[in-house]
Amino acid sequence: MSIVAGCDVGSLTSKAVIMKAGRIIGSHIIKSKPRPQDSANAALDGALLSAGISKEDIQYCIGTGYGREKIEFVDEVVSEIKCHGKGARWMLPSAETVIDIGGQDCKTMKLDKDGNVGRFAANDKCASGTGRFLEVMAKVLGVSIDELGKLSAKAKEPITLASTCTVWAQADVIKYINSGVPIEDIGAGINTAMAVRVAILVNSVKPEGDIFMTGGVAKNIGVVETLEKLIGKRIKRARKADPQIAGALGAALIAEERGKREKTS
Amino acid sequence: MRPEMQEYNYDWLMGKTLATAARVPLGTKKETELTYRYIPYFKNIAKTLIDAGDPGIQALKMMSQYYENILTAHAQGKKIVATTFCNSPAILYAMDMVPVTFEMLTAIGSMVWKRGMFDYMDFCCEVGMPETSCSSQRGALGAVLGAVLGGLFEKIDMVICDTPGVCDTNANAFAFASEYLDKPFFQLNYPSSIGDDRSQQYHIDDYKEMIKFAEKHSGNKLDYDRLAEVLSEVDKQDAMIADLEDMLMLKPTPVPPVFNLLLYAGRFCFSGRREFTLLLESMLKITKENAAAGISGLKNGEEKLRMFMCYIDHYTVDLNFCHFLEERGIAHIGSILTRNFRDNNQYAQEMPGSSYGIDISSPDAMLDTIAQMNARLPMVRSIRGPYDKKGMWLEESLICAKMYDADCVIYNGTPGCRNTWGMVKPFARDMEKHGYPTHIMYDDAFDDRVESWEATRERLDEFFKIRGLL
Repeated sequence: MSIVAGCDVGSLTSKAVIMKAGRIIGSHIIKSKPRPQDSANAALDGALLSAGISKEDIQYCIGTGYGREKIEFVDEVVSEIKCHGKGARWMLPSAETVIDIGGQDCKTMKLDKDGNVGRFAANDKCASGTGRFLEVMAKVLGVSIDELGKLSAKAKEPITLASTCTVWAQADVIKYINSGVPIEDIGAGINTAMAVRVAILVNSVKPEGDIFMTGGVAKNIGVVETLEKLIGKRIKRARKADPQIAGALGAALIAEERGKREKTS
Repeated sequence: MRPEMQEYNYDWLMGKTLATAARVPLGTKKETELTYRYIPYFKNIAKTLIDAGDPGIQALKMMSQYYENILTAHAQGKKIVATTFCNSPAILYAMDMVPVTFEMLTAIGSMVWKRGMFDYMDFCCEVGMPETSCSSQRGALGAVLGAVLGGLFEKIDMVICDTPGVCDTNANAFAFASEYLDKPFFQLNYPSSIGDDRSQQYHIDDYKEMIKFAEKHSGNKLDYDRLAEVLSEVDKQDAMIADLEDMLMLKPTPVPPVFNLLLYAGRFCFSGRREFTLLLESMLKITKENAAAGISGLKNGEEKLRMFMCYIDHYTVDLNFCHFLEERGIAHIGSILTRNFRDNNQYAQEMPGSSYGIDISSPDAMLDTIAQMNARLPMVRSIRGPYDKKGMWLEESLICAKMYDADCVIYNGTPGCRNTWGMVKPFARDMEKHGYPTHIMYDDAFDDRVESWEATRERLDEFFKIRGLL
């Protein structure tokens, strides 16, 4: 049984997944370091530890994410859109539309019956539809990203937030805090601002079939529920694995296919 | 678009809301209070307008009529024309067509609804318009494009705009509407200046082509008797506008801030129609009473500052911008949208060759009149060419700031407004050189998500305080 790995070096977090016979045997998420190669090494080391194997046991490894070209130990690199599509289909075999919100970008893609990415769209400018936006806002509010997600449910009068520019939105949040607006209403405004921007992107590809969300923001219940309202469709939740590792998982799945192909040839 | 936004037709919902609000003053105090309980989001703007007295009520009636015209157009065999505030609707009324002025619809929606026109703006982006296009078209256009989702708006029949070179983002929004909805499209063209015989002729020839286009697609021939009626009504309206504009010069100005908004809203929606005449008569009556008594149009009666908006106003929810001015004692002495450059206006006389007159003595004279009037509409008049060319933005603003004795100049627009943003910093520099403290607002007049109203308000307050104006 070959052991394969996928490593996704993102702008905010880096992830590694190790698979054996189509099963995840180890995974790890770290906060990205300044140098992509350091992030990749740390993420893989964590995954190896959780799988209880050593680096030499890995037969094939694929890198993805914005730092993929700098990862020294990979056999090949693949685009993150392709990896997220692959990972999403593994987590939810019926997924036809995938929304991935990463640290510095946001993508939505449609998968064909074989799990290949067909049409896709990505945000073209500002950071306010990305994980970085939530991270900045959570920091200003003094809550964790998980806590931020839960604030929407407790809000009574969500604020309207400047959502074109993260820095201006941050200024707005500080102003609302200083004027005594309840944190729940601010949090709900943040989650809504985020969801609205993502909804434009999602609707632009005309979502069909089962919709699945990947990336760390998929764990923010406030954003997900608001997004569901905005697009008028339910977003299926991940059960098989953490949606944040979808990119690395997709990379590992592609590594498995490539490994098999190399063996055959 | 959010599914719940598709449950009601936008035009029907807005039309009925405005019609209901216009009837509120007919009820008893108890009935009025009860009605307000049922319209929590619309209450603040309805109250603001109703509290403004008869002009506010006339404005509500006028706006509800505007939507009623759209809703009943096709049943009456009339064609609906999507157009811009830079194009006078008078010619369309003369041809028995119904205009849908995008910027007006966006402004009204932004002020009336808590969420403004956000959903419709975003829908435009979903179907392919860039986010950096002008929000003033994107709001209404989103609702109009919503016709394809199953009738959010009456289907438009044709598109006419006159903004190539004047505002290319505006022109592109109308091109997008035409393409997306597969409707015939005419772009009226202007030369870069309108002062000499050659350029005047060019403009009139193109205007005649526009009429031919409208005749072809509406099946209506231009009726010159009807055009004469419309222009006579415009003549009456212009005389009242000139009176109001003159009284804006008084210190304190007897014109309430909200009247500025109603003045141009009426002109962009109902130029040449009785509805606008009634509104003007009503505003003029109150303003004259204030002037006779020597009192300010501001509610608290004390004019602390005279502010000239060198471009457009802010259309945040509940008319918050007007409340802001009232609370601080700031007189609004007009914007680029207020001025109409009729030859009887004082500022027009300061700029020779800038004005138009009205002559209904023959068909050719009427066509010349309406074409010249069109060429004096906001932006067409002064944002078309180099900002510091004679008669353009800088000169017009300096003359108005001086004549109306402005204490400061404020720029407000939208990030999509390339034609003003391109030159606003040199413009501000030059206004400062002439002694006018000038503030550039970095918000979006129609979209509070670019900069929240609260942040905009704070920045304005900061400017007034630091520059020692308040």
